Amino acid sequence: MTEQNRYFRGIPASPGIVIGPAHVLTQEGQVSTRLLYTQQEVAEELARFNHAVDQTEDELSRLKQEIAGDMKEHAHILELHLLILRDRMLLLETQKLIKEQNFNAERALYQAFLKIKEVFQRIGDKHIRGRIQDVEAVYRRLLGHLTGRGHTKSFEFPEPVIIVARDLSPAETTQMSSTQVMGFITERGGKTSHTAIIAHALEIPAVVGMDSATLEIESGELVIVNGLTGRVIINPDETVQHSYRVRKEEFEHFKMEVTQGSSLPAVTNDGHPNRVLANIELPEEVALAQKYGADGVGLYRTEFLYLRRRQLPSEEELFQHYRQAVEAMPSREVTIRTLDIGGDKFLSPLEYAPEMNPALGLRAIRFCLKEQKIFRTQLKAILRASAFGKVRIMFPLISSPRELREARVLLESVKEDLAREGVAFDGQLPVGAMIEVPAAVTLADLLVREADFFSIGTNDLIQYALAIDRGNKSVADMYEPLHPAVMRMVRDVVEVSRRAGIRVAMCGEMAGDPLYIPVLLGLGVEELSMNPTSIPVVKRVIRMTSLQEAREIARQALTLATVEEVNDYVSREMDLRFPDIFRFGRPLAVNVA
Amino acid sequence: MRENQHWTVEKELWVENRLGLHARPAAKIATTARQFDAEIILEKEGLEVNAQDLLDVLALDCPQGTRLVLRTRGPQAREAATSVTSLFARKFDES
Repeated sequence: MTEQNRYFRGIPASPGIVIGPAHVLTQEGQVSTRLLYTQQEVAEELARFNHAVDQTEDELSRLKQEIAGDMKEHAHILELHLLILRDRMLLLETQKLIKEQNFNAERALYQAFLKIKEVFQRIGDKHIRGRIQDVEAVYRRLLGHLTGRGHTKSFEFPEPVIIVARDLSPAETTQMSSTQVMGFITERGGKTSHTAIIAHALEIPAVVGMDSATLEIESGELVIVNGLTGRVIINPDETVQHSYRVRKEEFEHFKMEVTQGSSLPAVTNDGHPNRVLANIELPEEVALAQKYGADGVGLYRTEFLYLRRRQLPSEEELFQHYRQAVEAMPSREVTIRTLDIGGDKFLSPLEYAPEMNPALGLRAIRFCLKEQKIFRTQLKAILRASAFGKVRIMFPLISSPRELREARVLLESVKEDLAREGVAFDGQLPVGAMIEVPAAVTLADLLVREADFFSIGTNDLIQYALAIDRGNKSVADMYEPLHPAVMRMVRDVVEVSRRAGIRVAMCGEMAGDPLYIPVLLGLGVEELSMNPTSIPVVKRVIRMTSLQEAREIARQALTLATVEEVNDYVSREMDLRFPDIFRFGRPLAVNVA
Repeated sequence: MRENQHWTVEKELWVENRLGLHARPAAKIATTARQFDAEIILEKEGLEVNAQDLLDVLALDCPQGTRLVLRTRGPQAREAATSVTSLFARKFDES
């Protein structure tokens, strides 16, 4: 019997509390990825893959033989699978990736499968498109032989489990459903990792970044996952279990109360309207955003399609994604942020020297103005999508009017190209600047002449203003959203925007944290963009606050000299007004069940 | 390059079966095509695929009513063309 009540902590990545048996994915059980170094290794890997193909073929042929006469339909499917197994796209592509990219067989096979999946997604006819299921069946069978597990349905369990793994790859998570999996614990990853995104999508609790989780936890052990606080308890005794069951119930109840109001408008109780918008990364998240009551998309991050791949996405691929998001949000604004990425994030074909200090390096608008071909492709795709709804575009990391001007000139030239080609787009597409570099705050009165709107990106602004790297554990606790310097910056940007008559939004984690909402309203921020799951609670806080008292809180906070005083003051005010909101941790997100 | 080369057979085919070139018809085409010593190409609106490659044929996305061009060459070019054409004509033995 292992020791009871072992407490651990990770990063809360998806809200909720769950108690259940663990299922630990061992290294061999995962789609391992590694690079091959010698020709010898490559040859061995090819042989291993070909052997797995032979085994799969034997298995399929045998299954076909065994089928009784009245099951003809099934024989046809196996026949189809045999053809797919030997198909160019799967077989040759995998072999090619092993040979040319030095991928191990599992990774190569997975990449080949993904590529086929992409091709199939573009097929118009839904019957034909649905055949990807057969490709997937073959892929899994083949993968099973590769990993030596045979064709075990590795993600089907007799009872729902909590998955514990070092990290979860997209390949694995696509095989999981919320009926099988109650929660996730991973050793790697952060709040925005793939695991977190999937957990949100499946609406199950997750804790990531729990060191040595796969060593501490054994399959079958009972674990508690608190996705609100990051707490993990292994082998809890009856008393602990009971207290968590109570807490879980309280949370479910609270969640219900909060989500009931999530479709109501974000109006303060003295009648001042605000907009609560969603930050999204994938077009699929638009549905989530709507479910949580978003008034639009305030930040559509577009890096996803550029990451973890060898080839740059085509204009068509980008366009399809953007269009999907835009069409999913009819009559509401979708604000697309252009590529916010450094050269270092591209594996290839772009080769960039590693940077000593990437946050201060060649990234975002700087990178795009340098790599104009990449930038133009994206601008073109965004413009084309603008014909299908209300699109706004914004440029990240603007630090001078020159950058904004150059970006606009490029945008205009792309518009001319499209007009010449007779392609439809929104000629009035609003263009915004992200305010996330202190220089942009100082120059806001000049930038405002070139921008149709501002969006304050607090994550970067705080990091640059306070010179704090949040990833650096020794200074991470000095990252303070309510730092007097940050509050003054927000106040100034809002003031400049108001005088110029342009809209200003705030995106970044600060905007989704209920603790800061009254202060921000008081500083004059009227548009807040956040992760969809934060929306219900933020709306609730807005609806329970009056603009008058928010202004008073902000005014008081601005008189204080140190961030400690501000934090004390704001926490006190918030506890007085919202005793129930911070009971379950902070920043608080809820999943609508 | 290929445009300059000579094809033995080049003809128009129409997808007439109700469900179009879904899994079973595409599998039949691929299986049939593999029986011949010939290069067999299906073209839709400028996109060409090898008829032996099942997934490529599927990805060509051919619902009912699609017009295709069949091109063959090689030692058994004519036989191959006849067999493939016959599959289309019989609506792949479906409705």
